[in-house]
Amino acid sequence: MNTSRRQLLLDGWKMLGALLVGAGGYTAYEALRPVASTSEGARLDLGDEAFFEEGTATYVPEGRLYVVNAKGDRFALSQKCPHLGCRVPFCDSSGRFECPCHGSIFDLAGEYIAGPSPRGMDRYRVSVRRKRLFADTSSVISGPDRGARKYLEDPTGPSCVGED
Amino acid sequence: MPDEPRDALEPKSATPAHGLARRVQRSDVWRSMFRHPQLDTPRGRALQSFSNFFLHLYPVKIPARVLRLRYSFRLGFIAVVLFGILTITGVYLMFVYTPSPASAYGDMQHLRTSVGFGQLIRNVHRWSAHLMVLVVALHMVRVFYAGAYKKPREFNWVIGVTLLLITLAFSFTGYLLPWDQLSYWAVTVGTNLVHYVPVLGGTLQDLLIGGDQIGSNTLLRFYALHVAVLPVLILTFLAVHIWRVRKDGFAVERPTKGTFEEEATARPLPNAPAELYGNRTRLLGVVDRESVTAEERPVHDTVFTWPHLLARHLVVTLGVSALVLALGVAFAAPLRELANPNVTPEPSKAPWYFAGLQELLSHFDPLVAGILVPGGAVAALIVLPYIDRRLATEARNRKVAVLVFSGVLTVVVVLTVLGTFFRGPGWRFEWPWDHLYLEL
Repeated sequence: MNTSRRQLLLDGWKMLGALLVGAGGYTAYEALRPVASTSEGARLDLGDEAFFEEGTATYVPEGRLYVVNAKGDRFALSQKCPHLGCRVPFCDSSGRFECPCHGSIFDLAGEYIAGPSPRGMDRYRVSVRRKRLFADTSSVISGPDRGARKYLEDPTGPSCVGED
Repeated sequence: MPDEPRDALEPKSATPAHGLARRVQRSDVWRSMFRHPQLDTPRGRALQSFSNFFLHLYPVKIPARVLRLRYSFRLGFIAVVLFGILTITGVYLMFVYTPSPASAYGDMQHLRTSVGFGQLIRNVHRWSAHLMVLVVALHMVRVFYAGAYKKPREFNWVIGVTLLLITLAFSFTGYLLPWDQLSYWAVTVGTNLVHYVPVLGGTLQDLLIGGDQIGSNTLLRFYALHVAVLPVLILTFLAVHIWRVRKDGFAVERPTKGTFEEEATARPLPNAPAELYGNRTRLLGVVDRESVTAEERPVHDTVFTWPHLLARHLVVTLGVSALVLALGVAFAAPLRELANPNVTPEPSKAPWYFAGLQELLSHFDPLVAGILVPGGAVAALIVLPYIDRRLATEARNRKVAVLVFSGVLTVVVVLTVLGTFFRGPGWRFEWPWDHLYLEL
């Protein structure tokens, strides 16, 4: 052991200081990190599956999501725009999702059409049980990448925002 | 008297106080508070500056050029005055405000309808905050064009950039507090930018808003940042900033010379020739370089800080106060509907100082427009004084720096004006005289 007592003490103070900074940092993290959601079950009952007819988008306020039926496939789309988090309203006249903040446009199934969004609308897993539709809101599934065109259809009418 | 130093105008002898004033000033109580004579002579004024806590921020004497408005346009001082006004009005607001989504918006309405001068206080706070962002930015622009960030003031420029960022953080956190549609969605857009930071983005965003969307956690922590964390930060940096203005010297005092730090603090070689240390006498081993160099660069035309500079500062303080008060009387701070996470208003615009960023975001990938460009701009500002090391301060001798800075500044101004005045719903182009969607 070549460490002198003086050196040991000098290093000891530094380590204690580093420990204190670390503890302070961790405490700040603990104080600021989001607490796990306490809301009841992640499985959200969306109602009778027959209610969601083809070509419609239904807003479900409890889940902050849209249930859409595009070409027979049902999706639960998060209302949050993948771009910068604005709520994306459904435009009845064009039959598309159109974000008012920065003009991103998505088709009925949430696929990217235009605008600055990096991908299609995020979604939740849906399941059917005893003729009722459920959405699993515990985890968000990232939307399809920009190239997806599976459900793309021509707009049914004029746009609510964006180029008209 | 063309070349006569202005000192010559100072009174040579004091008129002693008389009557009651004399008795008060001679009392033990008075003397226990003020340990210097109140003599209106050069010596008396110097003593007052030396022994007064508040005046020690200032040098006793300053070069007369500093008094000229064009020297600094008083922008740094105006920013400090605005910060003072914001502190005072902010404390008033804290008395009536509860940082919770259930009560915040109601408190704003209560302030408007039931508190005497409540709306005025809020207006003044709002307009002062906008002005402070503007003035701090102008201060930076002024310092750049004066070349005042150059050696030995490089680090003070970096502190100044930090102060600009803290000012923006103040504005951004304060923006959420009224909890109306304007604040809710501007902050939603702003905090979602953080998500695009590589690797750590998601975690950072969670820490910033404390959940998957803006909610009571966000409001509470933005409030804590706004009224506790950021004030401590800005006061600390501001104190160092002002202290260094004095320690690094006024720009007029040291037009081209660098520091003598190395010479002043190096151990003298035995039998070293005197020229090595600039022919200055060194005291002990380590000497404050100020004390070494101050003597060799005398500025002939100096004036006492009190009253010459302080009187001007007082006028500026009153002028700025009158201005924000007039703005507060004339224009009400906006208060839209209660924040509603299910309705995004059209258009959703960031506050004007972030409108340029939002404009950029509508053209480029968020990683580029939201993170790389602003991050790169801040990094460039910080390293500027360490890259642009030539000591010349005249524009003709630093064409590249001036051209690059002016170019970037033009882009920033154009983007900001475009985003603030020319954008409507869906971020479509809109002539401001057709319909102005200006949110302040």
